[in-house]
Amino acid sequence: MVNIGLTVNQKLFEISVDENLRLIDLLRDKLGFHGTKEGCGEGECGACTVIMDGETVNSCLVMAFQANGSNITTIEGMEKDGKLHPIQQAYIDAGAVQCGFCIPGMVLSTKALLDKNSHPNRDEIREGISGNLCRCTGYNKMLDATEMAIKYMEEEKE
Amino acid sequence: MKKIGKGIGVSFYGTGYGNGFPDVSRAIIRLLPEGKIGIYCGVTEVGQGAKTSMRQIAAEVLGLGVEDIELVHENTSLMPDSGTAAATRQTYNTGNAIKIACENMRTELFKKTKEALSLNSTAGLVLENGEIILGFFPQKRISFKELAEIYKGEKILEASGEFTAQTTQMDEETGQGAPYWPYTFNACAVEVEVDTNTGIVNLLRATFAQDAGRAVNPQLLEGQMDGGFAMGLGYALFEDLNIENGKMKNNKFSKYLIPTAMDMIDIKNIIVEDPESTAPYGAKGIGEPVMIPIAPAILNAIYDAIGVRIKELPVTPEKLMKAIRESA
Amino acid sequence: MKLNVVGKSVVRVDAYSKVTGSALYPQDIYLDDMVYGKTLRSERPHAKINIDVTEAEEIQGVLKVFTYKDVPKENIHGVVLKDHEVFASEKVIRIGEPIAFIVAESEKVCDEAYNKVKIEYEDLPAVFDPVEAMKEDAPKVHGESNIIFNYKLRHGDIEEGKKKCKYIVENTYYSPMVEHAFLQPEAGLAYLEEDGTLVVAVATQYPHYDREEIAINLGIPEENIKVINTAVGGAFGAREDISPQIHLALAAYTLKRPIKVIYSREESFLTHSKRHSMTMKYKTGADEDGFLQYMEAEIIGDSGAHCSWAINVLRKAGVHATGPYVIPNVKVDTYAVYTNNPFTGAMRGFGATQVPIAHEQQMDILAEKLGMDPIEFRMKNIFRLGSTTATGQVLVDSVPLDKCIEEVNEHFNFSEEAKEGAI
Repeated sequence: MVNIGLTVNQKLFEISVDENLRLIDLLRDKLGFHGTKEGCGEGECGACTVIMDGETVNSCLVMAFQANGSNITTIEGMEKDGKLHPIQQAYIDAGAVQCGFCIPGMVLSTKALLDKNSHPNRDEIREGISGNLCRCTGYNKMLDATEMAIKYMEEEKE
Repeated sequence: MKKIGKGIGVSFYGTGYGNGFPDVSRAIIRLLPEGKIGIYCGVTEVGQGAKTSMRQIAAEVLGLGVEDIELVHENTSLMPDSGTAAATRQTYNTGNAIKIACENMRTELFKKTKEALSLNSTAGLVLENGEIILGFFPQKRISFKELAEIYKGEKILEASGEFTAQTTQMDEETGQGAPYWPYTFNACAVEVEVDTNTGIVNLLRATFAQDAGRAVNPQLLEGQMDGGFAMGLGYALFEDLNIENGKMKNNKFSKYLIPTAMDMIDIKNIIVEDPESTAPYGAKGIGEPVMIPIAPAILNAIYDAIGVRIKELPVTPEKLMKAIRESA
Repeated sequence: MKLNVVGKSVVRVDAYSKVTGSALYPQDIYLDDMVYGKTLRSERPHAKINIDVTEAEEIQGVLKVFTYKDVPKENIHGVVLKDHEVFASEKVIRIGEPIAFIVAESEKVCDEAYNKVKIEYEDLPAVFDPVEAMKEDAPKVHGESNIIFNYKLRHGDIEEGKKKCKYIVENTYYSPMVEHAFLQPEAGLAYLEEDGTLVVAVATQYPHYDREEIAINLGIPEENIKVINTAVGGAFGAREDISPQIHLALAAYTLKRPIKVIYSREESFLTHSKRHSMTMKYKTGADEDGFLQYMEAEIIGDSGAHCSWAINVLRKAGVHATGPYVIPNVKVDTYAVYTNNPFTGAMRGFGATQVPIAHEQQMDILAEKLGMDPIEFRMKNIFRLGSTTATGQVLVDSVPLDKCIEEVNEHFNFSEEAKEGAI
C-alpha cells in the first residue's frame, strides 16, 4: 500500500492505495466519481479521460500512485456554482448526446482542447477529440457543440 | 496517384418483427398529482432518443409540454410490455400505442370535465397548456391539476392503449406475403479520394437523404443519420474481426478499428417528409435504415474513382491494393 | 396538421444527466455487502468438456462456482430457438461460450479462482465455413443438420425474365461478421428485495424478455422478478440476446447476496452476437430499355454457434434482396447455417444491411453496360407509390424514394457528369 494525496475537482484527498490500483478504480470505486467511464481498459476509447495537471489522460492507463500530488478534473468538476460548464450546455443544446457513455470523456477532451486553443477550426476539433470513440453520434454534433461552446464562453466574458 | 470518384447507394427497410408475428406495443397513461401525465410503457432508451420522442408524441396529443410528461419505462414491475427496442419499431409501434393511450386519456379527461363543469356534452372541449377548455366559451375551464386533485388515490384517472402492427405471414414455398409495414427509404451519395499507391480511401463529400414519414425531432433524427453514416463507413472500410478457426483475433479497440472523429466528414443531411397514414403523426422509424446505403455508396464511388469493383468488405488498404494489382 | 411539439427539436430529456456524469449505467451502481462475479468461457470452438470446480471453491473468499448443474430449471435460452445454454453442459460449441460463473467477495478473488477451475477439453471436429457446414457429412453443431432455415422467394417466371434481358450480370459478394462496438461493456447487478423479489439491473433492449428467460431458467414466476433497465450505453442489436442476466439472477437467488459483474471489452466481444456474414451470389438482368426483368440470388448467412435471430435476419435479407426496385421475375434463396464461429444475431439493419452491398453494385454495373447514369437507371426501376414488391406487397402509402434520390442528385449531379463523360 502507498499513501498518496491528490486534488480531485478542487478537493484534497489523502488515501492509502494498493500499488496495482489504477487511477480509474481510485476515482470510481474509492472516491465515488462514477462519471468516469471504462470502455476498453487499454487506452483506446477515451471514455475514462480525465484532466490531470492540465493534460488529458486515460485514467485506465495511469496507476493511482502516479497521481500522487496531482490536480485532477473529472466530469463532476465541470459544473460551477450549480451551473453547467458552457461545454456541457453546448453538448445538450447541439444534440451531441446519445447513449452518453463516451460523453464525460468527450466533454473533458473538449475542455482540454479549448483550454489550449480557444478558437480551433473544425479539423482541429476533430483532432482534439479523436482519442475519444463514440459509436452513436458520428461525432459531427460534437463538433457543432464545441463551436457553440466557444460562442457561449465568449458571451460569458462580455 | 490520387483518384476521385462518386457513388450512390439507395435502400428500403421494412419496420417491425415482420412475417405476421404479433408485434404489439402497450402503454398506460395516468393523471398524476400536480396535473402531470405519467406514461407507463416498456420503451427502452438505448441512446436513440426514445425518452424524448415518446414524450413529444404524448405531449402533442394532450396539449402539454414535454416537461409535463413523466415516463416510467425502466422497471418491469411498473410498466406493460412494449416489445423490444429493435427492428426500428419504437417510433412507429410504441409511438402509436402511446398516441392511442393518450387519446383514450383525453376522452377520459373530457368526460370528467363535463361532470366537473356541469356541461351537457364533451363537444367543443379542447386541450391547451394543461387545461381543458370549452373552446367557444373559454371561461369554462378546468386544469389538469384541479382534476388531479379530485381524482387521486384509488380514483386515479387511467387509460391504456395498444397497437399491433399489420403484417402477414409469407407463404412457405413462394415467400409471397406482406412481411413488414411500413417501409422506409433513403439515398446517399459520397465522393471519395482513392490513393492508388497506398490503398487508402478518404471521404470528401456526402449527401444523405432519409425518409422519415415525419420527423418527430429533427435534431435527434440528424444525430441518428450522422451515427448511421459513421457505422456504415466503418463497415465499408475498417471493421474486421479477423476470425480464424472460430477465434476473433481483433477482439479489442486497439485491433478492431471503428471510425474516429478524424475519419468522419461533415454530411449534408436531408430529412424527407411524406407522412405515413398509419403512423403516429406520420412518423416512421429510421434507427436501422440510416446505416444501410452508406457502404454501397462508398463501394460504387471507389469503382468510379479507379475502375475496380470490390466485392468483399471491408475495403482495407491491403485488399484494395490487391484488387488494383489483380485488375491491372 | 398544426403540430406544437412533434416536429420540434426538443432537447433530450436525458442529456443533462449524461453531460454531468450522473446517469447510472449498471457499472455505476454500488450496493452494500456486494459480491462479484466472473464468467469462465470456452477457449475451444467445439469440444466435449469436463468441469471440476472443487479447487476453485476452496479458495478463501469464493462463495460458489456455478455451472450447468446449478441451474434449477431449463439451462437454455434464445430469442427464437432455445439453443443457447446458460452454461455449457456436455460440450462447448464456440469460443466464448459460458461454462462457469465464479462468485467471490472481490474481483481479485474471482481472478484467482478463475485459474483454479479445471476444464478438460476433448476437441471435436469443428466447422467454420457455412458452405462446408451445409454438407451432409459436416460436423454438426446442434442436432442433425446445420441448416437452420431456408427462405424461398418465388415471383414471376425467371426463365421468361431472362429472355427479356439484354444484359445479365453475375457476381458474388461477401460481407463479413462485424461487431456492434457500443461503448458501454455489458454489466449488471442482482439482489433480493425484502419480500423476496429478485431484482436484476442491466442495460438491455428488452427487459420483459430478460425477465421471461430468467423465470424459465430459475423456475420461479415472472411476478417475483423485476428487471430494471438502467442507462444503456448503446445497443445496436447486441443487447437483445441474454448475456449476464441469468448468471446474475441465479447467483443472487442462490446466495442471497447482492452481486455485480462487469465485462471487460474483450469479454464484451465474446459474449454478444455479431452481424451475420453473408455470401451473396447475384444475377441481375435488364432489358434494352433499362428496365429490370430478372434477379436471382443465393444468400448464405453464418449463424455461428447459436440461432439467435438467424431465421428472422435471413428472412429479412431475402425480402430486401431486390433492393427498392420493381423486378417482375425473382428467385431468392437464403440460408441460415450453424458453424462453430462466434454467434451472430441482430445488428442495425438486420440482414437488410448486407444485401445492398450486392444489389447496389449490380445496379451500377448494369447501368454502365446500358450506357445510363446511375440515377437514370435507378429512377426507371425504383419503388413508387403503388409499386408491388417481389413478395407481392403493394406499397400504398409514403414511398418518397424518388424524392430521396432527387435530393441527393441535386448536390451531386450524377446525370450531368455522365453526359460530360460521354462527350
